[in-house]
Amino acid sequence: MAATLESATSEKSSYSRYENLTQLDQIKDAYEYLCKQEDAVNSELDVQLQKQSALESKMLSLHSMLPNLQLVQNDAKQLEGMISFTSTLAENVSSKVRQLDLAKGRVTACIQRVEDILDLKFCTDGVQTALQDEDYEKAAAHIHRFLTLDENVLRMSEDASEGSALETSFSLLHEAQTKLKQIVHSKFDAAVHSGDVASVERFFKIFPLIGQHEEGLAKFSKYLCAQLADTAEKNLDLAFRTQSDDSRASVLYADTITLLFESIARVVEIHQPLVETYYGPGMLFTMVQYLQKECDRQSRKILEQFKKNREFEMKAQQVQQCLMYQKVNSDKVDPKDLDLLLAEVTLLNTRAELYLRFTRRRITNDMESKDQSDEIREEKLMEIDQFILNCELSRLMQELIGNYIMMEEYFMREMVIKAVNMDQVEENSLTSSMVDDTFFIIKKCVRRALSSSSVDGVCAMLNHACSTLEQDLCDIIKSRLRQGFPSGFDFTQAYNLVQSSIQSGRFQSADVETDKAKSAFLTTLNNAEVSCECIQTLKSNLEEEVSKLYSSVNEQSMAKLMSCLSDLAAVSNRFKDALEFGFSQLNSSASKPRIKPCIDLFMSTSHNITEDEFTNYEANDPWVQNFIINLDSLLQMFKNALTPTNYDTLVSHVCTEVASQLEKATMKTTFNRLGGLQYDKELRALVGYLTSVTTWTIRDKFARLTQMATILNLERVTEILDYWGPNSGPLTWRLTPAEVRQVLSLRIDFRSEDIKRLKL
Amino acid sequence: MWKMEDYKYLFKVVLIGNAGVGKTCLVRRFTQGLFPPGQGATIGVDFMIKTVEIDGERVKLQIWDTAGQERFRSITQSYYRSANALIVVYDISCQPTFDCLPQWLNEIEMYANTKVLKYLVGNKSDRVNLREIPRYIGEDFSQRHDMKFLETSAKEADNVEKLFMEIAKQLTLQARQNDLRPYTSESTDRLDGGSSPISSYGCCKL
Repeated sequence: MAATLESATSEKSSYSRYENLTQLDQIKDAYEYLCKQEDAVNSELDVQLQKQSALESKMLSLHSMLPNLQLVQNDAKQLEGMISFTSTLAENVSSKVRQLDLAKGRVTACIQRVEDILDLKFCTDGVQTALQDEDYEKAAAHIHRFLTLDENVLRMSEDASEGSALETSFSLLHEAQTKLKQIVHSKFDAAVHSGDVASVERFFKIFPLIGQHEEGLAKFSKYLCAQLADTAEKNLDLAFRTQSDDSRASVLYADTITLLFESIARVVEIHQPLVETYYGPGMLFTMVQYLQKECDRQSRKILEQFKKNREFEMKAQQVQQCLMYQKVNSDKVDPKDLDLLLAEVTLLNTRAELYLRFTRRRITNDMESKDQSDEIREEKLMEIDQFILNCELSRLMQELIGNYIMMEEYFMREMVIKAVNMDQVEENSLTSSMVDDTFFIIKKCVRRALSSSSVDGVCAMLNHACSTLEQDLCDIIKSRLRQGFPSGFDFTQAYNLVQSSIQSGRFQSADVETDKAKSAFLTTLNNAEVSCECIQTLKSNLEEEVSKLYSSVNEQSMAKLMSCLSDLAAVSNRFKDALEFGFSQLNSSASKPRIKPCIDLFMSTSHNITEDEFTNYEANDPWVQNFIINLDSLLQMFKNALTPTNYDTLVSHVCTEVASQLEKATMKTTFNRLGGLQYDKELRALVGYLTSVTTWTIRDKFARLTQMATILNLERVTEILDYWGPNSGPLTWRLTPAEVRQVLSLRIDFRSEDIKRLKL
Repeated sequence: MWKMEDYKYLFKVVLIGNAGVGKTCLVRRFTQGLFPPGQGATIGVDFMIKTVEIDGERVKLQIWDTAGQERFRSITQSYYRSANALIVVYDISCQPTFDCLPQWLNEIEMYANTKVLKYLVGNKSDRVNLREIPRYIGEDFSQRHDMKFLETSAKEADNVEKLFMEIAKQLTLQARQNDLRPYTSESTDRLDGGSSPISSYGCCKL
């Protein structure tokens, strides 16, 4: 409606505009516009009128609803009244219940108080008679009951008539408590003195009842410690009397300390349930702290004897001096003297580790079963960790392991140096003794370290193993390889050599010295290769053992072990470097000089040939068969002297050398069509031969040459496009477009304009 | 077991120095951003790993934190040789820890690789009032022994990040130069030793 009004006013104002219109066109436009507006208004009106009937029927239904609404409103009011009445009623009822509940609570408290007072009286009477009857358990139970009562609360009822009676009870009970304490203490001491185990345990159980937890544990632990000390002393005495030819003589101290640990473990095992039952969980730690002190004392005694009688400290000092100042052989400690000693040290440590792990697990479990907040528990567990790490036994063992590592390193290094110095080549062996010996020693030493259960010790020995392998084996191999493979290898001599070796089955040469040097070089090469393998084997063996023996160590320690193990594996790279270096030496002094003359022969063979010559070549090969025989004799010479892997590496090196020299030579040769065909035949023969002598594929090394042969074999220049670019199919070109042109230009029958015109 | 990670170089950094100079705190500050008060003495050796980015390349630092106490010496010494960098730490508020430096250098001489990167670090620089070794004394000492020098505070996180990042940067630079140097059979230099960093192209997620 408003809209129409508005439009009406706007129309009105526009009328005045229309009145001012003077031009016919403008008037026409205005007229048209107005007509359009009229149509629009009309259609809108139609729409509105169509809705009329619907609106009317809605109006009707609304009218009929009106009386119903009145009814609903009345009902709602009534309901509201009812609800508010009910709620007041409920409130009344529940407040009474609450009052009753309060009253009931007070009555219960009252009954409790009365019961407490009755108990107090009962306890007062009971404690007296129990003490008289020497029934200390009963007396302690009464005192325990009394201690659970809240004295202050009871005293509040003092103003009642019974006040004075209560006071007497209290004083009597306190008196009884002190008395009982004294009795229990003295009886316990007496029982300990007389060795009456049953009485000791009897009174041990009474301490917590009279609130004497700490005192009880202290006294009992002291008693246990005394017993431990006794047994330990006897064991040590027994150890002294052991004959030196006894089968356990070499591990005497390890055995003795094991007995000590076992007896402590047994004590813990037996008394843990007792402590838990009568003193509650979380108290074992206190007892173990006392026991550990005795353990420290006894371990120190045993270790002192060990150090003294095995001359441990003296040997350690000597070794240290050997390491500091490179002594001459005569003053050196003989590593073999250390062998047994080192084994015993690892045994000592592994026993101590086992014992400490046991103790720690026991007290940790006990602590965790105690009901306490997480924060306090964390703190307590940290305290336990620190206690285990810092107890004297741990410290003594750390010192021992420290010296052990130094001596074990010395042992390993000296033995390896000895093995290298005493290096021998056995008949029919590709390697010499030093590789096997070195790895045997290293394995032995690292495994011994593994048996000590000391993660840091194992890691240190793995590090030392790496150093020893690098400095005492790899460096030796390198320096031997640096001397080079003796050259002066002339072709006829080699040929004769092969002949004679075929005849006699053995190497024979006029020059024995060179021959020796040669075979020594090859042996060293094999040593380097086998060392790589040995390192991998050693690493995987040790890895297996580590995961077996050290499965229970924490993540951090495992990461440490794994890191040191992977460093060990990385040492094989140093041997690979040496091997690579050795092959380059071999290549320059053995392969290259042999290949060069054959390539020269190729250069002097014309590849610009007539049909007759081509046929002639078929019957009388110009160079390639000769070359193959030469290569074969070269390779055969090495085949039996090298390990299979090394032999393959050699073939690979020879192939690379042949390919590169032949490529250079090819680029300097000219070809015609038949020459290209000849070249292709020659190359096929060569590749065929080289493929037959190795297990690896060598075709890759000859890919460029094969492709050159393809180019040299073309009928026309443009034929290259059948193989190039989109037509190359599975073939990957190793030659650049420039090189392809260069090869094409080697064909004297190809015109250089054609080659230039090629679009590659 | 061992996670294969995506990194270009792996370097070993070993911290040494007297007990209580704050080696563990330096490592913890750098690797975890923590300064744990009341840190107990380290037992044996500990190691932490942090991967940092140097010029867009991921470099993994394996930091070995050693115990300063004498009885662990033979264990800690075994780590010197494979270290790419050694950090010798002393406490600027404790003269004896500085006086022991020649001994530590002696050990480095005996066991470490000759090309190892050496840093001298005066820790606890926050203890201004308790300072016993002036900065220039430490600096002077480091220059005489061909070492880089920094004063740090693990407590206030001062220079800690800088120390390890500088080391990572220098080692990366060295490693790149090694990579660039072409391997030829004639170059015996590489055969003569020197710790080429353990680069791990093989296990990268490329």
